[in-house]
Amino acid sequence: MPFSCLKETSDSLVSISVVRCQLYPPQRAFHASAVLRRVSDERKKEPSASSSQQHFDSHPTDHQPEQEPQGPRPSYTGQGGQESEDYESEEQLQHRILTAALEFVPEHGWTAEAIAEGAKTLGLSVAAAGMFHSDGSELILHFVSQCNTKLAELLEQEQKLVQLGETEKKATDQFLRDALEARLRMLIPYIEKWPQALSILLLPHNIPSGFNLLTSMIDDIWHYAGDQSTDFNWYTRRAVLTGIYNTTELVMMQDSSPDFEETWRFLENRVADAMNMGNTAKQVQSTGEALVQGLMGAAVTIKNLTGLNQRR
Amino acid sequence: MAAGLGLCPCRALLGGRRGALRALVRPARGLAAAKETHFGFQTVSEEEKGEKVYQVFENVAKKYDIMNDSMSLGIHRLWKDILMHKMNPSPGTLLLDVAGGTGDIAFRFINYVRSIRERQLQRKLKHHQNLSWQEIADSYQEEAIKPLGDSQVVVCDINKEMLKVGRQKAQHLGYSEGLSWVVGNAEELPFDDNKFDVYTIAFGIRNVTHIDLALQEAYRVLKPGGRFLCLEFSQVNNPLLSRLYDLYSFQIIPVLGEIIAGDWKSYQYLVESIRRFPPQEEFKAMIEDAGFLKVDYQNLTSGIVAIHSGFKL
Repeated sequence: MPFSCLKETSDSLVSISVVRCQLYPPQRAFHASAVLRRVSDERKKEPSASSSQQHFDSHPTDHQPEQEPQGPRPSYTGQGGQESEDYESEEQLQHRILTAALEFVPEHGWTAEAIAEGAKTLGLSVAAAGMFHSDGSELILHFVSQCNTKLAELLEQEQKLVQLGETEKKATDQFLRDALEARLRMLIPYIEKWPQALSILLLPHNIPSGFNLLTSMIDDIWHYAGDQSTDFNWYTRRAVLTGIYNTTELVMMQDSSPDFEETWRFLENRVADAMNMGNTAKQVQSTGEALVQGLMGAAVTIKNLTGLNQRR
Repeated sequence: MAAGLGLCPCRALLGGRRGALRALVRPARGLAAAKETHFGFQTVSEEEKGEKVYQVFENVAKKYDIMNDSMSLGIHRLWKDILMHKMNPSPGTLLLDVAGGTGDIAFRFINYVRSIRERQLQRKLKHHQNLSWQEIADSYQEEAIKPLGDSQVVVCDINKEMLKVGRQKAQHLGYSEGLSWVVGNAEELPFDDNKFDVYTIAFGIRNVTHIDLALQEAYRVLKPGGRFLCLEFSQVNNPLLSRLYDLYSFQIIPVLGEIIAGDWKSYQYLVESIRRFPPQEEFKAMIEDAGFLKVDYQNLTSGIVAIHSGFKL
């Protein structure tokens, strides 16, 4: 999910040796972050080159910001807001806000309002929703990515159980059906607003990210299904499963049967079709061969009849 | 560009006699008693700058809006609209508009929040198809009582004349609730910590004597998660446009100022102060210095105006 923080639309004069007016202090001030909280066991990404600008000098921290509900913790804010070891980054804060926003989606839809409500529950101002795109794209992508991660964990656990011998290994079609059903069930709490989400995912600027998430999910499923192919089949399998997933999702949107029975039946039929497709391909091939044999025989017979084959 | 306080000899001629004298005397004196800053292309002491800026705006207050329209050919309205869209405030937002004298941003905020609120209520009604008449009447009442949904805007300005004009405009246009008018200095705001959701300053920060203090005050009064938005004239990146813009600024705007507002000097100051303001990247660094995170800017009209945004995280 590319959060392009620095949208520099000007062709900036890069590598500016900024001549700072003597009114402004040359080094980064020592600041306490008001919101980013300590993540004690997480090692942060390497500090950027600008961290060399951090000076622990004798300057009194005359602008210590106020206390906020989580308690003040001094942090060293480098340029661009990268934190030192023990603090969460802005990205993590954004993830937290989006996760909190999900519970407001059934009421507000996938919009900046839901994000604003989510920020409020974390103790932030509603203006924090301004960090995100106003059409709610990031919220949707965050949700999809979360679902994919949950699915991967589920499949991982199943695989472990199989390896430990506690359960039987499933047949491929059963495996695919279960995996897709588990994934689609994650949409149920948000099913009313999901059509809106699908349409937003189809906006041009969201298509790359949405597509990536979809393909990586399908990859995961095939990986855990034990797909070892390295030939042309790799693409066909993914294309087929993507097709099944998308069509089932659409069916689910307008399914009103209890617990979405119709959808699961549709899914079962599609997966069965896909399995048969493999057999059908072989059948077509052998039919083709038989046909060619027949034609060759017919041609030789005709040649014999017309006397072209005779040796003089 | 001569950032910093020194003036080259040719500039000293342009500045007032006083400025020139000071430029010649200063090296001999060593450490000057009062710190100096720029007022347009002149050099003045810091206290003086505050007074002079106050006078400028006192003089132009009555014709401020007309001059804005004629100088920018009405485009300033688009700029302010874009600022409002970028802010995208939800009902319940508390806005502090600093240097917001005549209330342009405040009125746009109220309109925006009102329409969002209406849409929200309509959506709620549509959602519950089977409402009893009582419930429908109740929701209409709610809409009448809280048309703004608890949103409020505080307009703060150091100049009483500008606030007076703003209040008259508000009365004239029919804005009555959700508005407060406060006299205050951007470097020392008369508000408590952690109060506001959004802090805006439109075309005001270049007039502040100590920009860093204003940024620090902005950081102080914002709630955690709050947003800082600054709409200000900035550097044009296109060289051809830059030349045309310079021509327009120095030749046409002061003349317009004389004709329409009867005040050449104020508009000369205005145009010069734009040139003295730091460019986009430098200002972005200053905002980061004050402690804001996720700072970024958006150029409008290829750099004539830029919107800087930062969050208190």
